[in-house]
Amino acid sequence: MNTLLEVKNLKVRYGNIEALHGISFDVKEGEIVTLIGANGAGKSTTLLSICRLPPPEAPRVIEGDILYKGQSILGLPPHKLVSDLNMALVPEGRRIFGNLTVEENLKIATYARKDGHEAINRDYDRVFGLFPRLAERRKQRSESLSGGEQQMLALGRALMSKCDFIMLDEPSMGLAPLLMYDMFRTLKQLNQEGLTILLIEQNANLALRFAHRGYVLDTGEIVAHGSSEQLLADPEVKKAYLGG
Amino acid sequence: MEIFQHILNALQFGSFYALIALGYTLVYGVLRLINFAHGDIFMVGAYIAYFVAVALLGMDTGMSPGLALAITVPVTMVLTALVGVTLERTMYRPLRRKGADRLYVVITALMAGLILENGNLALLGASRKRFPDLLEKSIWTFGSVSVTNLKVIVIVAAIAVFLLLQFIVTRTKIGMAMRGISYDKFAIPLMGIPLDTIIVFTFILGSGMAGLAGILFAMSYPILEPYMGALIGWKAFIAAVVGGIGDIRGAIVGGFLLGFIEIGVVAVFPSTLRDLFAFSILLVILWLKPTGLFGVAKTTKI
Repeated sequence: MNTLLEVKNLKVRYGNIEALHGISFDVKEGEIVTLIGANGAGKSTTLLSICRLPPPEAPRVIEGDILYKGQSILGLPPHKLVSDLNMALVPEGRRIFGNLTVEENLKIATYARKDGHEAINRDYDRVFGLFPRLAERRKQRSESLSGGEQQMLALGRALMSKCDFIMLDEPSMGLAPLLMYDMFRTLKQLNQEGLTILLIEQNANLALRFAHRGYVLDTGEIVAHGSSEQLLADPEVKKAYLGG
Repeated sequence: MEIFQHILNALQFGSFYALIALGYTLVYGVLRLINFAHGDIFMVGAYIAYFVAVALLGMDTGMSPGLALAITVPVTMVLTALVGVTLERTMYRPLRRKGADRLYVVITALMAGLILENGNLALLGASRKRFPDLLEKSIWTFGSVSVTNLKVIVIVAAIAVFLLLQFIVTRTKIGMAMRGISYDKFAIPLMGIPLDTIIVFTFILGSGMAGLAGILFAMSYPILEPYMGALIGWKAFIAAVVGGIGDIRGAIVGGFLLGFIEIGVVAVFPSTLRDLFAFSILLVILWLKPTGLFGVAKTTKI
């Protein structure tokens, strides 16, 4: 398997506070990898360092490198990660455009696509096939959607940007258990169709049951990593993150 | 019949306010920035039109004023747009990059406007410029109502610009991106959309329209001076807020509303009371509806 994303000795600062103290991890093509850890461990910071959204949200990378398909992406403007490298991020809190309709939220993600109407229409069909609820509500303003529907829309929007690698920041947050399992089942299906996934989760149990491999992040450092089975069986991890 | 004359005059005044208010509202809608330099961009537009027109008429080609006008309009709009984009690139963007608080960007805009005014004063001196006649004036009279062709052009231009901007914002992909930015600008790059390109496009639209307003205003009131953009800029800004800043319909309605209020006051009271009454009425409107006529509290803009 080829390595898709490689984070090497990444040190990151917010202002004068160092939030990541040189972390390294990788994601291989076709994998589901999860970063777990407590609140404030640096999980979201890691994703924001990869995507480098505009300030004031962007943390500053002071050391290390981030490679995607072997190429450093630190010098690339964030929109190019999506338009040229087919990466996608479903950010914390979903951040759908509440003032746009469901359909417009999907359409806005196709802004930079150059592969033509047919391919885009196929992706609409795919997203509406995965989430029939979105099809029913396509003309509705998206801020009127329920939390679960908004999460579907956020994922659907990422898929419309034509991604082969997706990063998810706490997709289970605020979802009822049933919706949460639905969401993860959908993600598993997408993974089997070839989508590589980097998942950030506070719900470590859920994340490790879903992912192939995991990394445990604690106050800006990776303290454990391995296959999901290994981590689930690790007494330290069990004690700290899996509720005994 | 006098009432029709007043209505026409109100529409003409309102058109200027509306054209300028559209620029305030576009930039605010996208960036949440009150671009206080916008009134002065309008002034710069009028001066650019002056220099372009004088240069064209001064050449030994015997160019007709009509042809000169046809060239002056697009050239002025492009050059004025360039001025707006330059302000964005050199003054606002660096602050945005550093994550500066909105207050500092607004103050920067205020200073940018003052620099345009005083730069003009320094370069050209305090003497006023007489804008050349580019349009052969024709007056149509219907009973006691007289309509000039210029008046019709001004009103039609304002409405056409409104329709065009409304179309761009609601029906095109780039307009969708503009609306997206107004809701959450940090999520825009995640859609593969270059944020700065959309912002520059917004400044092009707003400043281009200020340039158009500058020409039309200079043709209607052909005396130019460096401070001509200040008061009309404030008025247009207030019109945009009363209409509901961030909403294009609000800018056009607010602009015309201000035009009607001003002409209405002058029709009844001495003209020295015009601004006092006009602003008092606008204040009452805001008191009744603080988000402006088209404003929805906090959610959607532009």
